[in-house]
Amino acid sequence: MNEKDRINNQINNQIDDNLALQILRQIPTPVMAVDRDLKIIFMNQAGCSFIGKNFEEIKGSYCYSIFNSAHCQTPECRMKKVIEGEDASKAVRNEIRINDRTVYIEYTAAPLKDDNDNIIGGLEYILDITDRVRQEQKLKEQSRIIMEISTPAIKLWDRIVVLPVVGVIDSMRAQQMMDTMLKQITKNSSKVIILDIQGVAAVDTAVANHLIKIAKATKLMGCRCIISGISPAVAQAIVQLGIDLGEINTNSTLEDALSDAFALLKFEVVRKK
Amino acid sequence: MINRVIEEIFIDVCEPSDNAQVIYTARQMAADIGFDETQQFLIATAVSELATNIIRYASKGIVILRLVSKMSNTGDIQGIEVTAKDNGAGISDIDKAMQEHFSTGNSLGLGLPSVKRIMDEFFIQSSPEKGTVVIAKRWGQ
Ligand SMILES: Nc1ncnc2c1ncn2[C@@H]1O[C@H](COP(=O)(O)OP(=O)(O)OP(=O)(O)O)[C@@H](O)[C@H]1O
Ligand SMILES: [Mg+2]
Repeated sequence: MNEKDRINNQINNQIDDNLALQILRQIPTPVMAVDRDLKIIFMNQAGCSFIGKNFEEIKGSYCYSIFNSAHCQTPECRMKKVIEGEDASKAVRNEIRINDRTVYIEYTAAPLKDDNDNIIGGLEYILDITDRVRQEQKLKEQSRIIMEISTPAIKLWDRIVVLPVVGVIDSMRAQQMMDTMLKQITKNSSKVIILDIQGVAAVDTAVANHLIKIAKATKLMGCRCIISGISPAVAQAIVQLGIDLGEINTNSTLEDALSDAFALLKFEVVRKK
Repeated sequence: MINRVIEEIFIDVCEPSDNAQVIYTARQMAADIGFDETQQFLIATAVSELATNIIRYASKGIVILRLVSKMSNTGDIQGIEVTAKDNGAGISDIDKAMQEHFSTGNSLGLGLPSVKRIMDEFFIQSSPEKGTVVIAKRWGQ
């Protein structure tokens, strides 16, 4: 017997079986064991209160009849896998319905073996991750909403349209912007489109690339594109990235861009005498 | 010189919209350290390049943003450290990838060289088995 086995043995002998059972019963997370037919043979206190039933009520029932989870009676069931000797001991997400409420869980299954190492069933412990999943869903939803706040095109003057861009531009949004702009050009026979990027969160190469493409497309449609809102930060980013904006007209403020647009269309703004 | 981690944020990136969280978190962290608006913007831009590369070339990975500090002659200074890690196909020729205008993705090929320019420290490692990891730091005053 090597040193490690000896120590393990010692520990095993020190913990008496009764105490071990008490610990298992009271551990504050659901623990369940089933036989090879998936009939429940053990459920600790946290497990019973989790599903709101006494052990006596569920003892001998099929676990899938109690949990009715998304994995139950599908090839996804980790309990079934470990009983069949597969290595499926990684924690996985699942969802169950308890009293018409969807509860998100993460469960980890392991084979239950007898002293001769024969698999006589399976055991698993369950973590309730509902709060975490809800937070994640909320976050996803929020970012989706932010992304979807459509890019408004504002007709500012006869044949002059402004597109204020705020937040983060990704390829989907860039496509949306391109569509909006090209539609505006035909609809209002716009001659100048001002893309105001003062509110963008970052101008990386991908964003710059999109802006260049948008400017090119508008030009093809016989329309001038002015990019305004080039703040010191945006200017620095463009220089640091080594991006060549080519012949695209740029302005630091929307105001300057508008007066350039007026000049292009030969409008003159004069104060009343 | 001792590096100490003060704050640490893990962000999974797998779709383009995940980049928003990366950008905002990086900006916030840079602002917390006291970087001015322009520097915040530049740092967020650099971090965004790395996240975009993951999404584009490795389809998924993780960006870790750390607020770190180190001792210097003039006292403690704080900085932002970004780690971008993926298990994708890796970069076959790092020297080429670091050159301007080199792109296998039909893009500008300016991302990685810009990150190196914007940040103070830059480290890249890549292999077909393990994927790519980039670690870059930017120190404040
Ligand atoms: N995480 C990664 N995994 C695999 N390959 C990568 C990764 N990041 C970069 N590369 C490779 O390195 C090249 C250069 O990257 P870089 O970010 O400099 O330019 P790009 O992404 O092609 O274009 P840009 O960033 O200007 O839009 C890429 O084209 C790609 O082949
Ligand atoms: Mg790139």
